Amino acid sequence: MRKAKLAVSLFILSEANFFLLLIIAYVFYHSYPGPGPTAATALNPLRTGLFSILLFASSATMLMAASSYRARAHRATLAWLVLTVVLGGLFLSGQALEYVGLYEHGVAVNRNLFATTFFTLTGFHGLHVFIGLVAIAIVAGLAASHRLVGSEREADAFEAVGIYWHFVDAVWVVIFAIVYLWAIL
Amino acid sequence: MSGAALRTRAGEPSAGAAHKGLLAWVASVDHKQIGIMYMLSSLLFFAIGGIEALLIRIQLAVPNNHFLGPDTFNQIFTMHGTTMIFLVVMPMLAGMSIYAIPLMIGARDVAFPRLNAMSFWLQLFAGILLYFSFFAGGAPNAGWFSYAPLSEPAFSISNGLTYWVLALTCLGISSIAGAINMIVTIVTLRVQGQTIRRLPLFVWMTLVNSFLILMALPVLNGALVMLLADRLMNSQIFAPAFGGSALLWQHYFWGFGHPEVYIMILPAFGMISEVIPVFSGKPIYGYGFVAASTVAIAFLSFTVWAHHMFAVGMGHVYDLFFVFTSMSIAVPTGVKIFNWTVTLYHGRIRFTTSMMFALGFIAMFTIGGLTGVSFAVIPIDWQLTDTYYLVAHFHYVLFGGTALAIFAGLYYWFPKMSGRMLNERLGKWHFWLTLIGFNLTFFLMHPLGMMGMPRRVYTYPDLPGWMILNLISTIGAFILLASVLVFLWNVYLSLTSGEVAGDNPWDAWTLEWATSSPPPPENFTLVPPVHGRRPLWDLKHPDRADERMAAEG
Amino acid sequence: MSGVPTLNPFSPEAVSIYHLFVAILLVMLAIFTLVATLMTVAIVRYRDREGAADARQEFGNPRLEMIWTAVPALLLVVIFVFTVRTIHASDPPVAGRTPDLRVIGHQWWWEADYLGSGVVTANEIHIPVGRPILIDVESADVIHDFWVPELGRKIDAIPGHPNHIWISADKPGAYLGTCAEFCGNQHAWMRILVIAQTPADFAAWQHDQLAVPAVPVAGAAAQGAQIFRDQTCINCHTVAGTLGNQRIGPDLTHLAQRSTIAAGAAANTPDNLLKWLEDPNSIKPETHMPNFQLSDAQAHALVAYMETLK
Ligand code: HEA
Ligand code: HEA
Ligand code: HEC
Ligand code: CUA
Ligand SMILES: [Cu+2]
Repeated sequence: MRKAKLAVSLFILSEANFFLLLIIAYVFYHSYPGPGPTAATALNPLRTGLFSILLFASSATMLMAASSYRARAHRATLAWLVLTVVLGGLFLSGQALEYVGLYEHGVAVNRNLFATTFFTLTGFHGLHVFIGLVAIAIVAGLAASHRLVGSEREADAFEAVGIYWHFVDAVWVVIFAIVYLWAIL
Repeated sequence: MSGAALRTRAGEPSAGAAHKGLLAWVASVDHKQIGIMYMLSSLLFFAIGGIEALLIRIQLAVPNNHFLGPDTFNQIFTMHGTTMIFLVVMPMLAGMSIYAIPLMIGARDVAFPRLNAMSFWLQLFAGILLYFSFFAGGAPNAGWFSYAPLSEPAFSISNGLTYWVLALTCLGISSIAGAINMIVTIVTLRVQGQTIRRLPLFVWMTLVNSFLILMALPVLNGALVMLLADRLMNSQIFAPAFGGSALLWQHYFWGFGHPEVYIMILPAFGMISEVIPVFSGKPIYGYGFVAASTVAIAFLSFTVWAHHMFAVGMGHVYDLFFVFTSMSIAVPTGVKIFNWTVTLYHGRIRFTTSMMFALGFIAMFTIGGLTGVSFAVIPIDWQLTDTYYLVAHFHYVLFGGTALAIFAGLYYWFPKMSGRMLNERLGKWHFWLTLIGFNLTFFLMHPLGMMGMPRRVYTYPDLPGWMILNLISTIGAFILLASVLVFLWNVYLSLTSGEVAGDNPWDAWTLEWATSSPPPPENFTLVPPVHGRRPLWDLKHPDRADERMAAEG
Repeated sequence: MSGVPTLNPFSPEAVSIYHLFVAILLVMLAIFTLVATLMTVAIVRYRDREGAADARQEFGNPRLEMIWTAVPALLLVVIFVFTVRTIHASDPPVAGRTPDLRVIGHQWWWEADYLGSGVVTANEIHIPVGRPILIDVESADVIHDFWVPELGRKIDAIPGHPNHIWISADKPGAYLGTCAEFCGNQHAWMRILVIAQTPADFAAWQHDQLAVPAVPVAGAAAQGAQIFRDQTCINCHTVAGTLGNQRIGPDLTHLAQRSTIAAGAAANTPDNLLKWLEDPNSIKPETHMPNFQLSDAQAHALVAYMETLK
């Protein structure tokens, strides 16, 4: 029985609930808009959409990394992992850009309820992406220094990291739909 | 009870083997030592929370009392509630599961020993953080559910509430980590032959409970981070003055808060389901029903949260939904009450202290449960919510329920943990003092509530009957103090000069009793074969092994 | 049960709750007796003693267990039906009626505004007997809760979420109520007094509430009126016929008619008023009414003035 995999799946279960609450808050105030900026006026769905594609792509590269790991192709594994980290990193920098832009237009976390719920929701997602990147980077580091031995426990851990990363992407699918697409519809 | 005294008997700690004395405990990743540390920290905070309770009772002993000022009083009852729930009950239940469950499933340790240690130290840190607020401008003072907007910076300028938010967030993380650890342990580390349907009920209920924690605590954390944003980044999520919603906080909090109250009772149910059969000399009556009703309760507990909000004016349609779900929970709980009671029949009941606490639990919890149902009858709630009738309800379920069950469990497992028996005579004293003190303290709160005494008042006018009822309640609280001191004295005596327990003093049937008391670092030298729910019974009565008898009907 | 308001109802709404409550109390008593008896019998008959029979190894009986699952369930269905009935009796729908009265919770006192009539008062609410009054319950700051047990249910006063409640009284009399939701330091002293009067008396009361008290022209009272103006009292309090028209504190126009001050914290006597003005905290710690460090003379003058506010 795979301990790490099970543990991470359970962790995801609880994380899902955590995000659910942030999403509820966002939706709740989206339906009672106050004065000031709203998703429609403040956000740039197109640009964020492009960065989102990078994030989704990183899920694919993570899958590739996993399969080449199972195929014991360590150099390929390393390559895919690095690519995943890069894509994830690009997504984060995209989010950073977005935040800067918003601040410049005076949309700070305490501006109004849209701003608050937007920043808490996307901010906590960003944090999760970052944690995921650290985890993947560690695995990549091991691969680079030829420390991947392909043991049972290691495979378990590897899959666990993968699951977590796919979860982070899945959450973004929901957030992107609710925050960005809803804004232009 | 000194760590060292326990350690020498707990055998050389596995991980900290290199270390001696206290350090062996601090560095330990052994589930037995971590479990015991959980229980010790819980006892410590129980003393603190109890002293806070005594302060509350002293202040309320007589009308128009000036012993505590309003602000101090509000800090005290907020800390009392928060402490008892998050730093006493949850750690105690966690500690008992962490100690007992690997033994009950024949495992060497929990699935992730280091994570386990992290959970413990994080919860201890959170406790200290919470109490540090006293020295940082005042403790939180908005009640244990910190309703907005009273908890918003506009009305609560002291930092107390910020400490409250941070501490509870840490506790949430610690509990979630602990729950994950428990589930993985129970799912992956069971000894060969112990199928899910053969799990001891305490293990079974802890498993269900861990899922409750897993789903409910993130709800608390989510709400807390938003409140933190309001407090530190002056956003307005829960601030009506700026378009925020005060009711959103209530929905969030009780979305966690109600499951939380079952999180505090399910493991207690589990312990009762171990103790009653053992001391009745027969298996639990209707294992299937008892186990299944637990799952039913767990599911229902996520559907009733707004019964804490009956007075906010939600509209009758919503009200009725929550009335219905709240009443439904009485059914699976009733199943347990009746199955436990019927288990006594045709048994041969040994009145050990543990058993007496278990029997006390059934009676007292039933009272608390019934008043709970009276709240589900919404017009009654409209009269009695936020009165002392409510205070009575939740002390009957939390003290009369959870706390009595915890004592039952402690008297049951203490010999296993320490290798020594607790003194039964002192135990009986402890039990009767608790039962009498408890009812003196809390029963008269029912009429007090009906007389219109609101909760959370630092003093009250001298209306007819109010003083005498409050005075009696205060006296009861001091009897409870005596009972707790008897218990601590008993523990001390046992550790220093208690009679040696032996492996299986109660001749119980689950695996933890198959190893030495206290168990060696590796828990088992060899685990007996498991063909049923009572492996040790089967060993003792091969001719009347459970499986066979069950088959014969 | 005069000492126990919830069992001593004075309005149709409260009566309906009372009947349900008594019924439920009896059901609870019956259930507890059942469980207790089952336990006692078992404890007596099956306790471990000389020559007691060995424990019988039995594993349960699904049919029996179904019974004690189903019976409580049915009982609860019955209770549910009665609950639904009582909900409508104890909390009738507003049905488009415009409220007669707006009650606003403040930290820590109640403002009562008789909509349309121009009558505004604090903490002591007058109603005519026999006529259901629709109250619009609001809050000026945190969550409070309006509760007069003898007259029926309680309801939260929530900022940004106006609520409604019906109250009525069958008999003239004074009914003590309280704020029932924790609202900060003086939650304990946020009491309500509902004074039910015959329609005639009520009309009379409302009439002289509208009367403007004469501003005293001579003596201590006149100085008091002066001080009241100078000491910024008027920045928070209303006294009809003066510059004071603020609602941060209770309306004082007819203060002298009230039986208590500071929402029940003290009887409305000259001595208490004096204490209150010299140091509000001595009567109600942490109250939002500031201490003006008044000289004895000033305080006495103010009290003299307050006494004229009939
Ligand atoms: C261990 C914790 C615990 C448990 C187990 C319960 C159990 C129950 N509670 Fe309680 N509750 C609290 C802890 C708990 N509660 C706390 C802490 C609060 C206050 C929070 C605060 O405001 O500070 C609270 C408040 C609370 C309220 C809100 C009151 C208010 O604020 O206005 C309500 C309302 O419905 C309620 C209902 C119930 C019900 C229906 C049960 C049921 O689960 C009870 C079921 C059990 C029985 C019914 C007895 C056994 C059954 C039988 C013998 C079968 C036959 C019975 C019938 C047919 C009725 N509880
Ligand atoms: C498991 C939970 C739990 C437990 C066990 C208790 C135990 C007690 N509680 Fe409870 N209580 C709550 C949970 C609990 N409480 C909650 C959640 C609230 C709501 C808070 C809020 O409104 O926000 C509450 C509120 C509450 C109130 C209402 C306050 C108010 O609304 O104004 C009162 C009033 O009497 C009270 C009294 C007591 C008493 C007398 C005990 C007694 O049983 C305590 C007995 C224990 C002791 C007496 C400890 C013994 C002392 C020692 C061992 C120290 C010895 C060592 C040295 C001297 C060094 N509690
Ligand atoms: C900052 C605003 C403020 C100012 C200025 C102020 N008060 Fe008050 N006053 C209050 C508040 C608030 C209360 C209600 C206190 C409570 O019940 O908790 C109150 C209550 C009172 C009461 C009791 C009324 C009742 O029915 O309970 C009297 C009398 C009173 N004030 C007189 C005065 C006088 C005289 C002055 C000037 C010397 C004054 N107030 C200035 C805010 C103010
Ligand atoms: Cu207002 Cu309590
Ligand atoms: Cu509840």
